[in-house]
Amino acid sequence: MGLSIVERPTPEDEAELVAACLAGDVAAQRALFRREFGRVNATIYRILGPTREVDDLVQETFIAVFRGLAKFRGEARLSTWIDRIAVRVALEHVRTRKGTPVSLGVLGADEPADASIPDAQAHARDGLRRLYAALAQLSAEARTAFALYAIDGRSIAEVARLIGTTVVTAKLRIWRARRELMKRAAEDPVLKELL
Amino acid sequence: MKEIRGPADKSGKIIIEAPQSDSRRDRIERNVFAQLAQMRVADRADAAVPTPPASNRRAWMFAGVGAAVAAAVILVVMTKSDAPAPAPIAEDTTPSRIVTPVGGESQFTVGDAVIVAASDTSVDVKRAPDGGITLVVARGAVDCDVAPRNQRPPFHVIAGDVSVEVVGTRFSVARTPSPRVDVVRGKVRVRAPGGTWLLAAGDSWTPPVSGSASEQVAEQAPVPQTPDPDIEIDRTPNRNSPTPTPTMSPHAQYQIAQKLEATDVARAAKMYRAIAASKDAWAAPALFGLAELEAKTNAAQALHDCNEYLRRFADSAQAEDVAWLRVEILRSAGRRDEARVAVTEYLRQWPQGSYAGIARRIASPP
Repeated sequence: MGLSIVERPTPEDEAELVAACLAGDVAAQRALFRREFGRVNATIYRILGPTREVDDLVQETFIAVFRGLAKFRGEARLSTWIDRIAVRVALEHVRTRKGTPVSLGVLGADEPADASIPDAQAHARDGLRRLYAALAQLSAEARTAFALYAIDGRSIAEVARLIGTTVVTAKLRIWRARRELMKRAAEDPVLKELL
Repeated sequence: MKEIRGPADKSGKIIIEAPQSDSRRDRIERNVFAQLAQMRVADRADAAVPTPPASNRRAWMFAGVGAAVAAAVILVVMTKSDAPAPAPIAEDTTPSRIVTPVGGESQFTVGDAVIVAASDTSVDVKRAPDGGITLVVARGAVDCDVAPRNQRPPFHVIAGDVSVEVVGTRFSVARTPSPRVDVVRGKVRVRAPGGTWLLAAGDSWTPPVSGSASEQVAEQAPVPQTPDPDIEIDRTPNRNSPTPTPTMSPHAQYQIAQKLEATDVARAAKMYRAIAASKDAWAAPALFGLAELEAKTNAAQALHDCNEYLRRFADSAQAEDVAWLRVEILRSAGRRDEARVAVTEYLRQWPQGSYAGIARRIASPP
């Protein structure tokens, strides 16, 4: 099992990076993009599920980041500030596109497939489709809170901060979402297996 | 694609891995910086032209196209004489007329919609008492970015006897030289003599023609059509691939070309090449996209594209990336001496660039 160690940037590094980006240093902007891309991509993907719109929203997030960077005051970590923008973009998208069916095999088509386990692949895709179809039935807020907590692995306090609510409200939304999902899972063995 | 590793763990967490390919990341990165470059140009244009209020959340993203190109030469004629020109469309039920001159382009907002009227376009804007919006295109073409209509008032575009109803969200309607609808994102419903069609992203529509003439027209102009099970379907021959059209903005064509990269490389390359040949602001990103696309299959052509890019757009924000792409293509082709020369050229121009570290390692191997 491999171990990778990622050096967390110090606030000073972040301040320098932000200053360089604001000064129009394209190399710094690209460094910021590449440093944050993985997390932003994962967060938006986990909220939305496999849809081509993930690319658009990741793009929209980074444009908002660079356009709004002058407003970043350094009170939180830069990554937290960026995460808030990503969640806001995703949440707004879910609010306006509620009920959009999940299309599979669109995003990630350029990822190498593991041909040795075709059945497991198909099963996983089926589970994913069912999960996001079930999530699509929830309110945008509940869906986002649940995805951030249960799929993206955030703490409840972090979820509350990201969606701009109290810990109690975030907890309630997650709890309600899980309850609704479990109801559906009672009649759906594939979804039940996933949950 | 490994998306799910397995069921929820003991803490109740569901483990889903997001796709993380470098090619996808690079594509998004390229788009982000191309958009930002466009916006900087638009910002400069906006400094000289009053900005209409944009209620659509994507409006500012879209603003870079038209405003940058021709904001200063827009001719906006408001039929309501007391409306301050060039103010946005008045929030009332009185029709307003937008006219753009030949060679110009006009962007305006109506409610939550952002509209770009192409060169030589005349369009009337009507607001119904219920908030519904109708654009009547007398001539030319409009490119509309509209929010999905779930709970919102209806949005229609009428071009002659063709009516387009928005389901959501971004599309172009041309009346002249002949009616045509192109959908970039979301869905629209087209009603015209002969039937009703539901178009999805990437679809294009032109009116069906009956009889022998129909076959000729169908050969020349792709007719799309995703069937809507709830409405009458005209069984005109289908052509599902999006087609570039002179009425679409280069930005819209660029977006379609990007989507086509995954499914139809040849058409994507053709679209990129057409945009790159123009003098539009999207020519540079298109040429970069073309070079990247051809780098996978045709190194010589890709190098030609890179050289052309560096000659035409030497000062652009992406010139550095193109210079490095040139290095990568040469290395992949095993042309090591030429690659070293390209690396030296890169370092001379961008000594502190994004690829400076690896460039130095290539230039001075241990």
